[in-house]
Amino acid sequence: MADTALLQIEDLKIGFPARDGGEVTIVDGVSLSVNHGEIVGLVGESGSGKSMLALASMGLVPRPGRITAGSIKLLGEDTVGLPDRRMQDLRGGTIGMVFQDPMTGLNPVRTIGSLLSESVRRHQRVSRDRALEIAEAALTSVGIPAAHERLSVYPHQLSGGLRQRAMIALALVNDPAVIIADEPTTALDTTIQAQILDLLRAKLVAAGGILITHDLGVAAEICDRLAVIYHGRLVETGPTADLLAAPRHPYTEGLLRAIPRFDRSRPRLVPIPGQPPAPSMDRGACSFRPRCDYAMDACAKAPALTPDGADRSVACWAPIGAPVLERRA
Amino acid sequence: MTAQTETTSPVRSLLPRLRIWPRAGSGNGMTIVGTVIVLCFAIATIGVLIWPPAEAYTGNLMERWKAPLEDGSVLGTDQLGRSLLWRVAAGMPWSLGIAFTAAVIAITLGTAAGLLAAWSPGPIRRVVQHLVDTVIAFPSLVLAVTVIALLGRGFWPLAATLGLATWPIAARVVYAEAMSISKRDYVMAARLAGVGSTTILITHVLPALRPTLLVMFAFTFADMLIAESALSFLGIGVPLTAPSWGNMLSESREYLVEAPQQMLVPATAIVLAVVAFNLIGDGVAAKARSRSRAVE
Amino acid sequence: MTVWTTIRGVLSKRGLELAILLFAISTLLFFLLRLSGDPAAVLAGEEADPDLVALIRQRYGLDDPLIVQYVRYVLSILTLDFGESLRGGQEALLLVLQRLASTLLLAFLALIVTALISVPLGAWLGVRPDAKTRKWVNGIVFIFQGIPGYIVGLLLIQLFVVELRWLTSIGNQGVTSWILPSLTLASFLAPKMVRVVAANVSEAMREDYIRTARANGASTADVLWRHALPNALLGATALIGTQFAFLMSGSLITEWIFAWPGFGLLLVQSVEQLDFPVVQAAVFVIAGLVFVVNAGTDVVFRLIDPRLRRQQA
Repeated sequence: MADTALLQIEDLKIGFPARDGGEVTIVDGVSLSVNHGEIVGLVGESGSGKSMLALASMGLVPRPGRITAGSIKLLGEDTVGLPDRRMQDLRGGTIGMVFQDPMTGLNPVRTIGSLLSESVRRHQRVSRDRALEIAEAALTSVGIPAAHERLSVYPHQLSGGLRQRAMIALALVNDPAVIIADEPTTALDTTIQAQILDLLRAKLVAAGGILITHDLGVAAEICDRLAVIYHGRLVETGPTADLLAAPRHPYTEGLLRAIPRFDRSRPRLVPIPGQPPAPSMDRGACSFRPRCDYAMDACAKAPALTPDGADRSVACWAPIGAPVLERRA
Repeated sequence: MTAQTETTSPVRSLLPRLRIWPRAGSGNGMTIVGTVIVLCFAIATIGVLIWPPAEAYTGNLMERWKAPLEDGSVLGTDQLGRSLLWRVAAGMPWSLGIAFTAAVIAITLGTAAGLLAAWSPGPIRRVVQHLVDTVIAFPSLVLAVTVIALLGRGFWPLAATLGLATWPIAARVVYAEAMSISKRDYVMAARLAGVGSTTILITHVLPALRPTLLVMFAFTFADMLIAESALSFLGIGVPLTAPSWGNMLSESREYLVEAPQQMLVPATAIVLAVVAFNLIGDGVAAKARSRSRAVE
Repeated sequence: MTVWTTIRGVLSKRGLELAILLFAISTLLFFLLRLSGDPAAVLAGEEADPDLVALIRQRYGLDDPLIVQYVRYVLSILTLDFGESLRGGQEALLLVLQRLASTLLLAFLALIVTALISVPLGAWLGVRPDAKTRKWVNGIVFIFQGIPGYIVGLLLIQLFVVELRWLTSIGNQGVTSWILPSLTLASFLAPKMVRVVAANVSEAMREDYIRTARANGASTADVLWRHALPNALLGATALIGTQFAFLMSGSLITEWIFAWPGFGLLLVQSVEQLDFPVVQAAVFVIAGLVFVVNAGTDVVFRLIDPRLRRQQA
């Protein structure tokens, strides 16, 4: 399995210099892999490090942050510390990214066609005209009607939904092996969200993809596997259906309880108490301890992510569903 | 300065706020350096007003064109053998005095007009705005040259003309600032509590405007000094016999070959004063910004 | 949206400003001339003989009631009749217009020099993250901003004409004589422009679309030239429109220093000779020019900047 992974992140750590001269760890020892035809959902609150993980996969950790440990293998090639020139070839060619806000994410003074064909010509040796044809095909494939006319249009002349489709076309225009979508529907109207999710599922499945979201419901809809991230660490991973049916980490359970559902008669939504931890908070204890209903003495030491049944793992001293006696131990 | 917020042209709205970026250093250090220089100039100006230096006006032709530090002369002498040090000093009441007066006129009128526009109903506001836009769009130096040609040379014509040509810039800044202050929560609260608009103006708006006015005064002073010297340099400023810095520069053009110090001495004085006032302006602005950020 | 509707929109908005401006200037000039003593004496000049004064008094109808004079004056302005030069006798307006080309050439050269200085320097300052270098360059730009243009001009003359004897400093005598005047006039605008370009570039470099460009494999150079600069320069070039009035003030001084035969020099000379019809014509021509440039940049930017097009729609 590991050998065939399109993208394999191993024990990745990302740090930012702190004001006191030390370093704040934003992402702390995360491992994650994406196989062909698979969509992995990375779920967490804002500030959990999920977007930083995405940027790291693109080799775009904003300065002065840096990757302090671990590796990111893209089609078997470690991209950590790769020369700029090589990384530029990979970005947009082998790995593409869809960003959250299509209004600010597309250059306002460039036409859609020029943005797309610029990317095509950077990665493929084709003529200007051919690049525009490829761009037009990409626009058509993401469901933008009258694609030919849309080539000469500026981003602001498109509606929000079409802009996000154009952004997806931009990420897909060179048929990348891996696609990362960072909160791709958050900035959109609810009615548009479903359409864009359908499109993303079709496109991500054709390659391999990571969907980053704070919304477990969105992730549940299109992902094969889920990874829940909290305070820069994965707390639970597993196949989507299993994980949703029987969450093992209290945080995952909390996220589930906070989703409105219509298929079950639950009296009310239950928010997770407390605030998400600041990235600079000490990681000696379990980071979720202050907000956890089940916290106990053992939680003073942070648990590691350990295998937990078929294809699942969890980082908790007393996963939910374990025998009560064991929980008390 | 938040000058660009209220304009009629959409093109102008694209401009970033000038002068905000970049800054030469931390607010405090800049302000202190600038203030020390300005204080030196101020003390020298007062000294010259009390004891006018005769050396500035009478010279010995035998001692013409001495280089700086030659034969006991500090900054050298001009084509008539007059001491450049004393002439630069004697020019201070002219150059700095006119700049100061013009800046006071510009800021006072501008503040009044800006507050009037901010506190008036639509029609008056639009008239003031159009007036401001119109005057700003015209080359002020051209206006000043023409007006002074009619009024004649001298301290007051120059100070008044420069002040009258400059007030719209201050008005625009004050207007934008007053509008943003009047939308702040504590002003709203005072208004809801039934406090009259004049009282709000005096107790809330004017104090909040103080840093803006200080910054604007420093920059305006620098601009006025440049403008005064420019007009004198063109021969349309102060009386031709007055040792203002612009006049000294104007005279020096004839003798660039023989005595470059005749140009360099007043030039240095002008640049030093302008940079000092810019330092104060930028420094105070930086401090005000960091304070407002701290509040947020 | 067509070019014509854009032009009409700009004119309808700015036309009022022009009307106010022309009205204000003409009224100001009219009353100042009469406030400052006997206009005939002023018009005739300091050492004029009584015959000339009488002639002027008769020609301008200075014995008529003030209101009649004012109406007659406004009418003559509206018909672009500024009278003849008191010194040479030529039509004042023609005299000024003949100088227009020289002034425009100087302004054009200065804008090119400004662009050559401020675009590379501003772009470099905008992207360079190294705080120490930036601090130094900022300091230098800061000091340059404090050096008035006429001092820059004198320093340039001192260096290149007096010391090195490479260039001449008088008049328009071919390309080499263009160098110092255009550098001098550029010095009025360049420091401000550097700061604006740098601020715009560093602002643009933080935008989301820059991250998108990077995610598509753009190199730092690509990001700067193809994505950040086009955005930054649109804003910076708009500065030319709003700063054109300032540029004209600078031109006045530059032309005076270098005896450049534009209408700034003509204006200063006419002011010194109290050649009032020419002064008046020059002021109105400059007002018209500033208006045309402002309105022109407004139209151009509405047409080329997609964001402005949206604002209008």
